[in-house]
Amino acid sequence: MTENEASIIKLIEELLERMDKAEGVTVTLDARLHGEDGLGLDSLDTAELSATLEDELGSDPFAEGLMPETVAEIVAFYDAKESVSA
Amino acid sequence: MFELIERAAARDADAVALVGSRAWTYGELAATAQSYARGLREQGVARFAVVTNDVPVAIALLAASSLVGAEACLYAPDIAVEELQRQAAAFEHTAVFSDREDVLALDGPALCTAGFASLDVAGDDITDVPAKRPLLTLTTGTTGTPRGVRHDWGRQLSRVLDTKSGAGQVWLLAYGPQQFAGLQIILHTMAAGTTLVTPPVRRPQAVVDALHAEGVTHISATPTFWRFLLAELRADSRPAPAIRQITLGGEASPAALLVELAATFPEARVSHIYAGSEFGSTGSVRDGRDGLPASLLTRDDGAPVRLKVEDGQLFVRSQASMVGYYGEPDLDPDAWWPTGDLVEIVDDRILFRGRASDVINVGGVKVHPLPVEERVTAVPGVQAARVYGRANALVGAVVAIDVVADGSVDEAELKKAVRAACADLPRPWQPRSVQVVAELAMKENKVIRGTSAD
Repeated sequence: MTENEASIIKLIEELLERMDKAEGVTVTLDARLHGEDGLGLDSLDTAELSATLEDELGSDPFAEGLMPETVAEIVAFYDAKESVSA
Repeated sequence: MFELIERAAARDADAVALVGSRAWTYGELAATAQSYARGLREQGVARFAVVTNDVPVAIALLAASSLVGAEACLYAPDIAVEELQRQAAAFEHTAVFSDREDVLALDGPALCTAGFASLDVAGDDITDVPAKRPLLTLTTGTTGTPRGVRHDWGRQLSRVLDTKSGAGQVWLLAYGPQQFAGLQIILHTMAAGTTLVTPPVRRPQAVVDALHAEGVTHISATPTFWRFLLAELRADSRPAPAIRQITLGGEASPAALLVELAATFPEARVSHIYAGSEFGSTGSVRDGRDGLPASLLTRDDGAPVRLKVEDGQLFVRSQASMVGYYGEPDLDPDAWWPTGDLVEIVDDRILFRGRASDVINVGGVKVHPLPVEERVTAVPGVQAARVYGRANALVGAVVAIDVVADGSVDEAELKKAVRAACADLPRPWQPRSVQVVAELAMKENKVIRGTSAD
């Protein structure tokens, strides 16, 4: 697992923990953010995810107009950022 | 204003009026105001601005302006030169008196700047006070150029003339003299003939020594100021100063703070005041409870101050209201003024819910920062908090909180406790970001709330 993958999965796990939505849920790269078969984030939860990503990582895909649907798409956003700045 | 100083000087010319870098007696303050008044009249100054952190001199100039009807305007003492030039242009000030070298260096054809000595003119006392006596104060908005608020000395003085003598009281000027709240303290202390201590730096951290050294007994300040002062006093080994009167104003006063103040200063009377540059003061509330008594809403037509609530907003009609904004026509003195403060009547109280402009729109839900702030500041380990709206791509804005921790607490635990304290609020009201910060975004000892400034 890459560093970005690990840190974003941990961040989402902590987010679900605070929202009492962690039980019985495993955060994987292909997990969908929304819906019953995914992590079940609603719009306010997703707003918090957006704010948390910005607080912890300094940027946030939602604020830049993207609408990632899966954990992997969030990771891809940060991977792309790093390859641009590298 | 001069008449207040003259009255106090007639009672006891040697009583100390002001303590700045040195002490000023009422006799000396009256004499200095007279000489500045002669200087203003001799130079034909009709309107002027003042830039100084020498508060006694600024007060002498205000008194002089009230004596000859020249319109004074105090700028922020630490105003940057570029901002000063912008303000002078915006308010058409061509004369600026100052003791700052960088301000005096601006002297030129467009803007005349001069030191205070240029106004110090000997001669006979001025007694022919004109009927029209204007004063200009500037609002301390959190963004952009301030607004000019036109006042009339007669209206401002009408409410303090019958102030009882306060001999033996020592007040602290915790507001800038250029702020409307600062002017209210100055007028009150001059009317009562008390001593006013004017520290050069008014942050709570900087005034503790002055409280002890000058034996301050009365302080009127913002809740934010009091919160930080309490923290300073807790860290100070000396016993708490013997404060007899505590007044809060400028922001809503959380009930928990009133309790903590009463515990720290058991001898003190705690009151709060509701006032604004535009409508003056509605008087102080001395029952130690939150909000204003609803009985203020049912006063008869002749009362000097009346209140009403319309669409959740508090309106004031006052005899001490402003004349009008700068650059705008005079207002009807009998008109109701919308305060911008959202209130709710609960039993016999008018309770403040926040500024209309501070409302955070979270996905269409209007969130008021104050109830959130009250919950957060009650969390053990939180010294102060700022609740504001942060732009969010999904719901427009979310509630974000910056907290200043009190001493060494575990950051993760504190964030958890802050979130838990807000758990009873509707979901849109709950914070989506909690950050522990070293200090809060503040302006003039008030926390900047609501919509994020950045």
